[in-house]
Amino acid sequence: MKEWIKFALLAAVFLLFYFAPVSGPAAVTSLAAGLALLQEYARLHVLTCLVPAFFIAGSIAVYVKKDAVLKLLGPTAKKIIAYPVATVSGGILAVCSCTILPLFTGIYKRGAGIGPAAAFLFTGPAINVTAILLTGSVLGWDFAIGRLVAAMVISILAGLFLAFVFREHDKKNSNSDFVAGMSNDLPYSNITIALFLLLQLGVLVVFGLALEPALKGAVVALLIAAVLVIVLVKFQKEHTLEWIRETWDLMKKILPYLFVGVFVAGTIEVIVPQAFITRLVGENTLLSNAIASTFGAFMYFATLTEVPIIQKLMALGMGRGPALTLFLTGNALSLPSMIVLFRVMGKKQAAAYILTIMILSAFAGILFGELL
Amino acid sequence: MTIKVLGPGCINCRTLERRTREALTELNLQADVLKVEDLDGIVSYGILRTPGLVIDEKVVFQGGVPPVLKIKELIAKAAGGKMS
Repeated sequence: MKEWIKFALLAAVFLLFYFAPVSGPAAVTSLAAGLALLQEYARLHVLTCLVPAFFIAGSIAVYVKKDAVLKLLGPTAKKIIAYPVATVSGGILAVCSCTILPLFTGIYKRGAGIGPAAAFLFTGPAINVTAILLTGSVLGWDFAIGRLVAAMVISILAGLFLAFVFREHDKKNSNSDFVAGMSNDLPYSNITIALFLLLQLGVLVVFGLALEPALKGAVVALLIAAVLVIVLVKFQKEHTLEWIRETWDLMKKILPYLFVGVFVAGTIEVIVPQAFITRLVGENTLLSNAIASTFGAFMYFATLTEVPIIQKLMALGMGRGPALTLFLTGNALSLPSMIVLFRVMGKKQAAAYILTIMILSAFAGILFGELL
Repeated sequence: MTIKVLGPGCINCRTLERRTREALTELNLQADVLKVEDLDGIVSYGILRTPGLVIDEKVVFQGGVPPVLKIKELIAKAAGGKMS
């Protein structure tokens, strides 16, 4: 399967260069637009949003206690606890997409069952901390919060629906070694960890505020100093190194793709005719949200690249409703992930999951477009 | 001794595999290092957060990439336990 994907990609690139009108003015303006958007991100979002966001994601990966959270998704967990925990745990347990599927399979086959597993699968990539923070920084905090809340509500609805439809397949799991191995939780108090995370979040928030530069600089410096005090006084050196390594790993994994995505998004603004986008997804109708939902379901966005692409589609006239829909399905589904889902969940369950997500996302988009 | 690295094949799992081999070289120990990449295989060990490290069919670590020093300790402990 992997080989044919590689081949298809190479063939697509080949065809692009074979037919692209490189000598025309369109080529020059689109290149310039791509570079301009890259500069915008480099100047406005990298230092003030992405760098703190990666440090926060690294802190969550290293310091936040996860075994305790996982126990709440075990086979003996009460449903009323398992669903909300599954919904928010995506942001804590899985920062990289490759950790999501093993976790999902574990919860589905050995833990709390298909409902919470599906809820986790949907919000896992959608409530990724870096993605929410970048969305807020680029498109505004109403969008970031809309995206977060819609993802959480949809995941619970979709999970409950699937658990109901497939209640017979959802056989009782044995409550044996759900969390095998040793506990990796670090020996720090919850208050210390919460303070550590909040201070870092503070850096990012203060950067975003419209303050006088001198005041802003002073507050940010104070917050960073406080973070450093916690690191030096409270944390062991070994764990601090782990935190820096994790942050660096995330940057290495995500940033190259993001920069390519930003460039592509910049060129979209020139290449794609505005009338086309306005006609297709300009209004907040059922049809336009359905189009956005379907497009997002099949399209693969590398982590964070959905932000510049949706930003530019909106600049071309995409409505707020369809934009939110695209955020929701664009993150949760893609053609490769659908193929894996069919293999792991079985045909019926996978089809039901995908359709439920697409329909609920479209309605969330309509609602968002109408209300906000 | 058989050591298995469980993980679907992203950067963390590969790092863990590399460090495990390093740890073995530093300890001067011989062991088969296998990679388990299919989901059912991973889940059958009761692993939830990848990558996971399994020594002689026993999960010794999951959900992170420990430093070489830590892996050496884990391997030494497993080896020592078997001898006594």
